Amino acid sequence: MDITKKKRRIALGCEGSANKLGIGVILHEGDLTDPSTCTSTVLSNVRHTFVSPPGTGFLPKDTAHHHRAFFARIAKQALADAHLSISDIDCICYTRGPGMGAPLTSVAIAARTLALLWGGKPLVGVNHCVGHIEMGRAITGADHPVVLYVSGGNTQVIAYAEQRYRIFGETLDIAVGNCLDRFARALAISNDPAPGYNIEQLAKRGGRVLLDLPYAVKGMDCSFSGILTRAEELAAQMKQANGGGGGGKGPDGEPFTGADLCFSLQETVFAMLVEITERAMAHVGSGQVLIVGGVGCNERLQEMMGAMAADRGGSVYATDERFCIDNGIMIAHAGLLAYETGFQTPIEDSTCTQRFRTDEVFVKWRK
Amino acid sequence: MATDTAAGFPCALTLDLPFPDARLASVALQALRVDKELSSLVKRDLSAVASEGSSDPTVLRIEYSAATNRMLRVAVNSFLESLALVLEVQEELDVDVVEARQGQEKSG
Repeated sequence: MDITKKKRRIALGCEGSANKLGIGVILHEGDLTDPSTCTSTVLSNVRHTFVSPPGTGFLPKDTAHHHRAFFARIAKQALADAHLSISDIDCICYTRGPGMGAPLTSVAIAARTLALLWGGKPLVGVNHCVGHIEMGRAITGADHPVVLYVSGGNTQVIAYAEQRYRIFGETLDIAVGNCLDRFARALAISNDPAPGYNIEQLAKRGGRVLLDLPYAVKGMDCSFSGILTRAEELAAQMKQANGGGGGGKGPDGEPFTGADLCFSLQETVFAMLVEITERAMAHVGSGQVLIVGGVGCNERLQEMMGAMAADRGGSVYATDERFCIDNGIMIAHAGLLAYETGFQTPIEDSTCTQRFRTDEVFVKWRK
Repeated sequence: MATDTAAGFPCALTLDLPFPDARLASVALQALRVDKELSSLVKRDLSAVASEGSSDPTVLRIEYSAATNRMLRVAVNSFLESLALVLEVQEELDVDVVEARQGQEKSG
């Protein structure tokens, strides 16, 4: 049956571009010829995270191994939670990219297998960034926001124009989440549930001093590798000081702690993000900010962004950890939106790619 | 398809993996042949063939050749991990398995 004629349209989505394996099932209802009648419902959203020991990061080979080990279990759970039969599902969506090669491919192989086993269901390859954006729009109802997409792998300021999500500004080197995650290793902060979350909690205990860290905004863009290097240096000084050497003193002459470092790092990088977001808002004439991606869970970032948006008479939209952290439902949602416009990925083309620009996607489902 | 032993890929290995039926062998073939080998020093060819005395292509034939034994080992090991994933998905999520599980849950 032609998908555009169906009143209930259902997709299964599989995500594994980083250390989170997520599988979810989404339902779209309503008449596609009249978008105001269309609604989206999350039928299931299951995720398992590969956590590496403190002081380490997750490597592609181990991450792919994790995804392979958990895929069947998570898929079964997602199906069971959705209370559906296989015949109800219209398409299988998977993350085509961007992300880490081996983990992406491991999930794609499993997605292909499902599509083939289940009677040759269509496959839809999805851009991970577009998945975040579409899920953010669906959950928050934000109309025409400037989108700040911040995660361990990506940092982009995006605005929609003429059927593309256009990148207005981005990191020139590493993602802000990557900066935070790698800094966590310097302090051997636990990666469970996520290093960024633990930095956020530790930062709440800091704040006595704001340490001087390099602030690197360059026009519409920003860079984080310099601030990471400096933060790692300070962490080393601090550890030395505790061992009896000199150094490790803040501007008030007192020794600074890991909590002070976390606080200072957050304040600095988040201020940078607020600045480049504000610049895009001024350029585009928008008062709304939608924050998506794992770093978007951070309440301090939401607070700082909210203050800036309020100053401009606007507001901030953010989702909770079910949706801002990588998940399968966002892939199902964005994939189903594309499938409803007639897009699908032939199985022989269902590869993955580590680099996949957000603006490469033709957003046919929006005007 | 003959392996390229003359063309600088002297280290070769062929694996024949029997499947319960031609459908499952075909599913595995289609899922696994999409991705290219990461190294240009490794060649892989997949096909579904019939076992002796049968006309049904229930066997997945995996033919690898590589420039060195080490590359062959690394490539084949990696492939086997992907193959194991395909097999697990077939075992746990095929249509009849899912339906049986859902039937059990309804009556249980």
